[in-house]
Order: sequence, then C-alpha cells, then structure tokens
Amino acid sequence: MTRDELNAHRLIKEAHEANARLHSRRHFLKESAMGLGALAMGSLLGSCGNLFSDKQTRIAYDPAHPLLPKSPPLVGKAKSVIYLHMAGAPSQLELFDFKPELMKMDGQDCPPSLLAGKKFAFITGVPKMLGPQATFAKHGQSGALVSDNLPHFSTMVDEVTFLKAVKTDQFNHAPAQLLVHTGSPRLGRPSMGSWVTYGLGSENQNLPGYVVLTSGGSFPDAGKSVWGSGFLPSVYQGVQCRSEGDPVLFIKDPDGMNRDLRKASIEAINKANEQQYQEYNDPEILSRIAQYEMAYRMQISAPEVMNINDEPAYIHEMYGTQPGKACFANNVLLARKLVEKGVRYIQLFDWGWDAHGDNPNNSLNIGLKNKCRTIDRPITALLLDLKQRGLLEETLVVWGGEFGRTPMMENRNGIQNPFKGRDHHTEAFTIWMAGGGVKKGFTHGETDEIGYSAISGKVDAFDIQATILNQLGFDHEQFTYPFQGRPFRLTDVAGKVIREVVA
Amino acid sequence: MLEFFGRFHPVFVHLPIGILLLACICILLSLKQKFANLKHAIPLMLLFGALSAIVSCVTGYLLANGGDYDVNLVSYHQWMGISVAVLSIILWIIYKKVKSNGVLAAVATILVILISITGHLGGSLTHGSDYLTAPLKPDGAKNGAAIPPIPNVQEAFVYQNAIQPLLKNRCYSCHGSEKQKGKLRLDQEEYILKGGEDGHTVVKGKADESELIKRILLPLNDEDHMAPKEKPQLSTNEIALLKWWINNGADFKKKFKDLPQGDDIKPVLASLQKGEDATAEIKNNDIPTEEISAADDKSLKKLADAGVTIVPVSQNTNYLSANFVNVQVMGKDILDLLKSIDKQLLWLKLENAKVNDQTLTAIKDCKNLSRLNLNNTQITDAGLVALKDLDQLQSLSLVGTKVTLKGIDQLKKLKNLKFLYLYQTKITKADLAAIKKLLPKTNLDTGNYRIPTLSQDTTVFKAP
Repeated sequence: MTRDELNAHRLIKEAHEANARLHSRRHFLKESAMGLGALAMGSLLGSCGNLFSDKQTRIAYDPAHPLLPKSPPLVGKAKSVIYLHMAGAPSQLELFDFKPELMKMDGQDCPPSLLAGKKFAFITGVPKMLGPQATFAKHGQSGALVSDNLPHFSTMVDEVTFLKAVKTDQFNHAPAQLLVHTGSPRLGRPSMGSWVTYGLGSENQNLPGYVVLTSGGSFPDAGKSVWGSGFLPSVYQGVQCRSEGDPVLFIKDPDGMNRDLRKASIEAINKANEQQYQEYNDPEILSRIAQYEMAYRMQISAPEVMNINDEPAYIHEMYGTQPGKACFANNVLLARKLVEKGVRYIQLFDWGWDAHGDNPNNSLNIGLKNKCRTIDRPITALLLDLKQRGLLEETLVVWGGEFGRTPMMENRNGIQNPFKGRDHHTEAFTIWMAGGGVKKGFTHGETDEIGYSAISGKVDAFDIQATILNQLGFDHEQFTYPFQGRPFRLTDVAGKVIREVVA
Repeated sequence: MLEFFGRFHPVFVHLPIGILLLACICILLSLKQKFANLKHAIPLMLLFGALSAIVSCVTGYLLANGGDYDVNLVSYHQWMGISVAVLSIILWIIYKKVKSNGVLAAVATILVILISITGHLGGSLTHGSDYLTAPLKPDGAKNGAAIPPIPNVQEAFVYQNAIQPLLKNRCYSCHGSEKQKGKLRLDQEEYILKGGEDGHTVVKGKADESELIKRILLPLNDEDHMAPKEKPQLSTNEIALLKWWINNGADFKKKFKDLPQGDDIKPVLASLQKGEDATAEIKNNDIPTEEISAADDKSLKKLADAGVTIVPVSQNTNYLSANFVNVQVMGKDILDLLKSIDKQLLWLKLENAKVNDQTLTAIKDCKNLSRLNLNNTQITDAGLVALKDLDQLQSLSLVGTKVTLKGIDQLKKLKNLKFLYLYQTKITKADLAAIKKLLPKTNLDTGNYRIPTLSQDTTVFKAP
C-alpha cells in the first residue's frame, strides 16, 4: 500500500469508529443520561405536587366511567344549568333596557363622540339615532322594566336577576358566541357545558350529561365548536339532540335487528375495543367503550325522555309547543324534562335574532316582535314549571345573546337600511339569570341614558362564566385542566364572580 | 454565610429541649431507689444536652442578627437560652460531686422551668405572641372578617375603625411592634408612611403604585405575595377598602363620609355596616356546621351497586347527596341501606322511585336531611310520619303524591322548612291558610300555574 492508501485507509477506519461510537450502548447511555435524569427528576418533583402547583381543584377523571357523578369542590346551589342562547343577539333596547332619552334623539344624527375611534360590524359614516321600538312598563314588586314584546315574561321579573351592563369585545356572531360559551373568541377551547360535565359528571347514567338543542331554522354561527369539548376528553362534548323525529339519528334499531342482537354486537365491539386498549393503553378507547354502552342504554331512555307527547295538554298549552315540529317551545319543554332526569347542562340555541333591518324578518318592529312571540310563553312556562316542581332552587336558567345592539339605526355601507334595525353592539347588553341560588327580582348594572355604554356594574363573559361555575360549586380560578404544559381555565386569566347577584 | 448557619437554630433548639428535659426527668426519677440505675446515664445526657444548648445559643445569636425580630423579645429569649446552657453545664459539672438529692432536684426543676420559658419565648418570636392562645379566644379572629362590624359606617373614622383593625389582624404579626419583616411596621401612622426597606409602602392617592397593594395583588405563589401563602388572606372587600383608602389620600383622620364613594366601594361599605364580608368565601350554610365522620365504605358501595347515585355534597365534607334516578329495580332492602348513612345523608332525591309509606320509614332517623324530593312516588299521608322529626329539612317536594292536609299536619315540627312543594297533590289552595298556620315561615307552592292566552300571542307581524 502506498502511503496515501494507508492514510485513506486509516481515515476510513477512524470514520467508522467515530460512527460506531455514535451507535454504541455506552454512547447512548452517556449522552442520554442527562435527559433520562431530567425525566426522572420531573416525575419525582411532579409527585411532590404542592411544590410546583397551587392547590388546584383535582378532578378524578376515570376514563372508563367518565360521566359518574362527582362532588364539586364547594357546595353548589345549582345542580343543573339551562342556558337559553338567542343566537344573533336580541336587542336589549327593545326588551329590557328602556331609554326615554333615546326616544328624544330619534332621527337625529349620531353625535360624533359616539363614533370616534369605534368600530361597528356594518355602520359606516354617520347613522341616525333610533328610539326604542317598543313600549315599556314597570313590572312586579321589583319594578323591573320589560317591554310589551314579552307580556308573559314580564310577570316573572320577581324571579329573575337582570345583568344590564354586560360587555364583550367581539362584534361578530361566531367569535362572540365562542367567547360566551368557551371563554375564547377563537376555536379550540372546551365549552362551558363540557367543563361542567367534566367537573361534575352527570346524575343520570342513561343520558348524556350535556345536551344541546337548536331551533330557529339554523345552527348558531359559531357552529358545533360552540358546544365542543376542546382539549377535554371528547366524551364531554355536547350531544346535540333533534327536537323533531328521532332525538338522535338511528336511535331505533333497524328492521330485523332486535335488542338482543344489538346487545351482542355492542358486546363484541367492546371486546375488540378492550383488546385494543390492552395493547395501546389509550384512555380514549375506554371512553369509547363507555360511549357504546351509554348509546345502548340511551336507545331506551332517550326516546322516552325526548318525547313530549306524554305531557298533559295544559303543559303543552303553557309552553305553547307545536308537537311534531322543531321549535324553541318544544326544546324548552324538553329542557325541563331533561333537568328532571338529572341531566347536568342543557344548552339551547334559538337562531334568528339578528335585527339589522335589512329585510322585514330582520327588523325591530316585524321580525323581532315575531321572534319574541315564539319565546315569550316558553321561557315564562319554563320558570313556572321548574318552580312548581321544586327544581328552580337547584337549576340555574340563563338567557342572553352574544352581544347587544346599537342605539343607532343601522346604515349599511352608509345607506340607511329599509327597515328599523340596529347594528351589533359590544358595549352594553342585557342577560338574565334565574334560580340556582341567584337573587330574585334584582337588577345589577346600569347603562348610560341612551343605552350606549355601561356605567356601573359592568360584567363580561368571563364574569358570567365565573358566576355560573360558582353556583355549581367551583372556584373558577382553581378549576383547571392541564394541557400543553400549563393548566387551562374556562375563564382564562380573567373573570370575577358577580357576588352582587348571588343570593 | 453566618446567617445561613443561624437558620439552623429552629432545628437545633429541639435537641437541648429534648435531651435536657429527659435528663432532668431522669434525675428526678433516679432519686427513687427503683430507678437508681439511671444515674449512670445522666452525666452523658447532661453533657450532650449542654453541648446542644451551646450550639443552639450560637446559631440563635446568628439568626437574631439577621432577622427582623422584636428586640425585647429576642433579648429575653437570648438570656434565657444562655442561662439554660450555663445551668446545664453547671449541673453536668456538679452532678457527681453533689450528694444532696434536694439540691439536685431543685436545680433540675429550675432547669425545666428555664427551658419551658425559653421555648415559649422562641415560639412567640416565630409564630407571633398570640399564637398559643389564639384558639382560646372567641371567634379566633383568624379566618373571619378582620374588621368588626361598624354600626354607622358614614360617621366612623376610616383609619381608626376600619383600616387599623384590618392591618392589625392581617399584618401586625409580622409588621408590628414585635417583628418588622422587611423593616416594615404598619402599626403606627408614621411607620406606615415611612415604609419598609423597599420604600413606597403607601403612595398617597396612588394605590397602584403602593407596594402594600402591589404585593397583596401578586399571585399567591409569588414569593413576594402578601399575606404569606400559609397565612389568612385578605378578602376582596378588604383589598377594595385598602385601595379606596389609599386612592383617596391615605388619610388618618377623616371619616367615611368625608371621602368620595364610587359605586365600587358602596357595597363594601354596606357589608362593613352589616359586619359581614359579602365577598368572603361563601359560607356553607347548606352544610351543618357539625363535622361528622365519613360514611361506611361498604354501605356506600352497596348503594352504588344498586344504582344509587351517591356522592358527598362537596369535596371537603362527609355529608352525602343521594339520587335514585338510575335505580332500575328497587330491591326491598335498598332504602334500608340508607339507615347506615343516616347521619351523613343531607340531600335525597327519590323522584319516581318505587318507595311507599312503609319503606320510607327507613329515613326517619336521617336527622341532618335538608333536601328531600319525593315527587311522583306512592307516598301518602301515612308515609309522612317518617318525616315528623326531620327538623333540619329545608326543602320538601311532594309533587305528584297523594298527600292531603292531614298528612302535612304531621310536619309541624319542621321549623326550618323553607320550601314545601305541593303541586299535583290533594292539597288545594283552600288548605293553604291552614298550612300557613302550621308552618308560618315556609314558602308554599301548589303550582298548577297557567299562562293566560293573550290575543297578541298569535299575532303575526307582516311587512306592510
């Protein structure tokens, strides 16, 4: 071999050795010692618990029985929640927030001070002010103002707490709805019902803990993520039931499939799933098994509870139901039945409250009035019916939209809309709550004399979420779920319980 | 570095306390013939005790130099500690030479007394001088409202009647006359204004710049958070009051009525007047104050196996809530199982359950039961006998049962009953007056509500 060849040979050998060194066991152990050590350290320290984490609420999550009822950290006044969301955002100025001063300004140009630096969804240029398009009167012993759009509900004001100065920072439907229900205007967070069923489970093991019912001909703009489970285990997402036909599609066994065969097939599927679980240990597989079993039980329980036909005629009349059709009244009656059966969280969406005034169905004195007809009896009946059954004490009913509406008449693209309508408004709107340990016949918060902005008792979505959790027995600051390396809260880093409204 | 060794003082002090006490006990015992053989061990005990006492004195001295302790208290503690060390050395030296039992017994007794006094003074330094006796004082003043009720808020002095008691209860133990952690004293006007070593404790008119408020608002886990994590925390009302006081000039003389009162502070002042802290943690008035033992696991398991949903009403209590909604087949003995949890059972829901007058007797001793739902069950008047002594009942729901006025008559002892639901029972509106007489404080609800039909219910508005 020449000297060069020798050199080359030596170099190749060295390279091989260097390469081999990278693959040796000794090398692996040496190089990874630090990493392994750190891992071990992490788990050691992790088990020290309180060293690094605060006394956060620990929720015992059992993937095989995800909906077993659990105790809240504190004693909750409410056991269930019925959230009535008027998707599209009803006008507070035509329902609860009476502003005689605004009447005087009707038809005048909007003062520039109200427009400077503000953004609206549609209003451009200088809109005209628009006085209240309804007649108001004081009701009940509490003297709460309710318009003639809700003649029946106005008899219930002494059961209700009004929050008249709710604020938001989102002026489009989808993000604003997400903010109300998930605590973030962006997609991906668990909804309030998911948090609640995660934390409390459900009393009834034959029904989902979190049921969603929609009406009004359309889903809420934010879509199904508004009842999604986000990063919580998927078993906690809202189960959407239909109020027309079968409550859940394909709930009946198909022809030729009897109950025993169904049971046998579900058992076979679950056996296969169990094998899968032995192999991968993924807790979601256990959830899936639990869901199959729940679905089997629901085949019996759901059609029974979701059937309003068994209710006596006077109850139907009270709610103003339309059996066989999909409507808000039917859903509200269903909500009562579900609460009675121990369902934890019932979320209703009623679409069609977006009174811009660009067509008659969207106007304050045609469309809005018709919409009010469809909810007035049902919401009144719900409160009365829960009350007479002793359920209002332990059921928190919340009614509201995702934002409010402007005291100005909408002028889309600078041109006045053909019908009376108002644009989206973030600065002040009204939400009410009843039952579940909130005050009766109480009003919290106040807006200025034209209802443009909140002047006292301001609250936002986080405050309302904190309050709802509080009524259920949670401290919203301690109720967390670890995800992506940090504990997450429904209320993120905000929110304060509205103590003033807690009875 | 020296201060570091000083920090070992709290560890070392326990050695002389233990060893010397044992030595003294042995000395006293060895005076009896029966324990005479203890005598051989005593010099060694005394030696170790004396040595550890010296180490404790040295570390204690180093710690006192570095800490902010009440000078007087430290000096008492120091001299008592030194005298313990000196006396223990003397005792070790003289032990073999003195033959008089009386002298030995006397010296040992004096030593025990000295150790006790030194120990108590040390404890007062670390935990505050009222630590030992706090539990004996009425209402403990520990977690309750820090400010006593002020009958007429507007005429009261802001500092004297509210801020000072607040600081006293929440801050003085570390920032008062005894201890001045961070060189801060909050017990007198001049000291408050002077501030601690970081200055700016109170910036008149600017709560946000005042170190006092800043630290209170830091996250609980922050090292600088006040009050320290393990101490009682300020309530939101108390913080609001402090901020309001500072924002309005931190005046020491003015009355409440002299300061501007925004909407934010009004509810706080109202609750001061009532003497309750509206924002303090919700009082669990739903749970009896009496602590009880946990229910027997076996009974709980049996109930759960039978399909009864049974959980504590909250995580920190043994009181239970039971719901029979999932019970498919009501076996004979399921209700009898409730007897084994009769103390713990607080809420019970038997709605739609197969329970009758006879089986209901199982709950007659559930003395703490506060909510009971018997909706749509077979219960009749005869069954209500089982409830006659359940005087803690607050809510009773008998919707859809066959009870009559006669049955309700048996409930007259239920003085705590707030709600009685009688919808779809045999009780009519005419009976209400009679029930009202029996249970004057109870809200009665016979339901059967109707919503009148208005002409406008069906009006459909159309575009012109």
